[in-house]
Amino acid sequence: MYPELDKCPRSLLVCEKSNFEHEKSRHDTHVSKHYFNHKVSVVIPECGALPSRLASVINNFSKYFLVMNLPVYEFLDKDFLKNVVWNGALYALSYRTSIDQDNTIALLPNSQLILSVDKDTYEQLGLEGKPSQYNHRQPMRYVVTIDLTDKSMAPGGKRYQRVLSSLKERVPLKSDFLLGRHNSGTDGDRALQSLLSRYQWKEHRPVVSSHTLKDLPCPSLHALDLRGDQRSCDPHSFLEWLGAVSAGVSCDNTAASFLSTYVCPEPQTLVSQALHCTVSGLLLPEDIYSLLQELRRYFDEPKFTSWLSLTVHGFMDSPVSWGDAEHGFHKGGENFYNLVLFKNQDYWLHMGTGSHDRCPP
Amino acid sequence: MRRAHIQDQPATYERLVYKNTSLYHYMRISLQLENESTRLSAAQLKQLICSGLRDLYGESNVLQTSDFPFYLLSNQTFPLFRSLFLFVSFSGLVKLWSALTLLGSYQNELCSFRVTQVSPFLLTLSGNSRELELD
Repeated sequence: MYPELDKCPRSLLVCEKSNFEHEKSRHDTHVSKHYFNHKVSVVIPECGALPSRLASVINNFSKYFLVMNLPVYEFLDKDFLKNVVWNGALYALSYRTSIDQDNTIALLPNSQLILSVDKDTYEQLGLEGKPSQYNHRQPMRYVVTIDLTDKSMAPGGKRYQRVLSSLKERVPLKSDFLLGRHNSGTDGDRALQSLLSRYQWKEHRPVVSSHTLKDLPCPSLHALDLRGDQRSCDPHSFLEWLGAVSAGVSCDNTAASFLSTYVCPEPQTLVSQALHCTVSGLLLPEDIYSLLQELRRYFDEPKFTSWLSLTVHGFMDSPVSWGDAEHGFHKGGENFYNLVLFKNQDYWLHMGTGSHDRCPP
Repeated sequence: MRRAHIQDQPATYERLVYKNTSLYHYMRISLQLENESTRLSAAQLKQLICSGLRDLYGESNVLQTSDFPFYLLSNQTFPLFRSLFLFVSFSGLVKLWSALTLLGSYQNELCSFRVTQVSPFLLTLSGNSRELELD
């Protein structure tokens, strides 16, 4: 049979083990640099209901806005730049644009404007960019990165005018956008409201869902055994189990089911109940970090479980994964990370990406 | 006391990088039938997919379960056919996907499989941002 048919897309899984209290622990950087998060999933074994403090943190996740038909040049508005963009903490991502087919635009909290565009759009725009790292043979997609804090982009300057005229007259790019902002300040709110008032928009809150799983076979994990040599299962098996729990897949492989041979990996224990809570929408890294801090405090009081899990899924069509690393969509657009928190503040961090991604940091 | 002290010592830093080490690929698919009221059991569904593979690749090669296993993952939405989860060995992904794409009928009734999502991580099948729909 043709050997090419046996090939499959490349995938990467990076696993780190450390302790939150290590001074060189990079957990905060990994969380803060993963800008566009679609879904957060928390699994806590031996827990029947969402603890009130966790619920409070989750219910305080920032709201976000869906703005319809917003022209990209509006991000260059002087007032908007000064009061919103340059203050940081504004996240914008084009809504329902596929990174492998459509023009996709993102504004990062460090004021980088990313335009991931097809070849025709790139040539018409006339702006300086680079071919996508994930082109097949001929460059079909280009990435234009504009640093809105660069002095050449000061309003009124030559380059600023050029970029503005490209986006306003040559190729008036517009899209529906998801906008999220963490810090609120009077001037920023005013400028943002001024922008929103010119277009159709709607405010949204992240959707929270929580349920309790009963009699769940659950992997036993030991913080020091990241590889899964003896006291834990290996990372792939653990992530597969998490996926099974999230998807509602049965883990018990009943004899009647010749169809599915999936079982919980060994070593395992049977827990009488486990909490599975999900939050979805445009979720900001600042809120996820607050959730992480609260989850770390979960073990301040004695608990039956020795670990809990936090999974964060990135947007499949985001033009970046971590930091400014280009992200693409081949057969899938996975870019996620999973934190396993242990009682003594040890943690595991699993970061997974697909074929059109750089290695996670 | 000494044993407890050792277990509570914070973990030292360790980093592992796995490339293409996932044994399986996972697919999230849905089946659409001409007659929407038709229901298939799990066994019929697996038989249908096997027949698709047989039609495309023949008997002799990939259809032996031991050479080319794929499995349905039973989940609570399964009876509704809204989303079915398959997992297949990494070498079988292209063959299974192509067979699903070209499968067009079930017992003289038109049908089609829609492949919603494919990933080497089962975990990502429950976090598909392309399904985010806002008013």
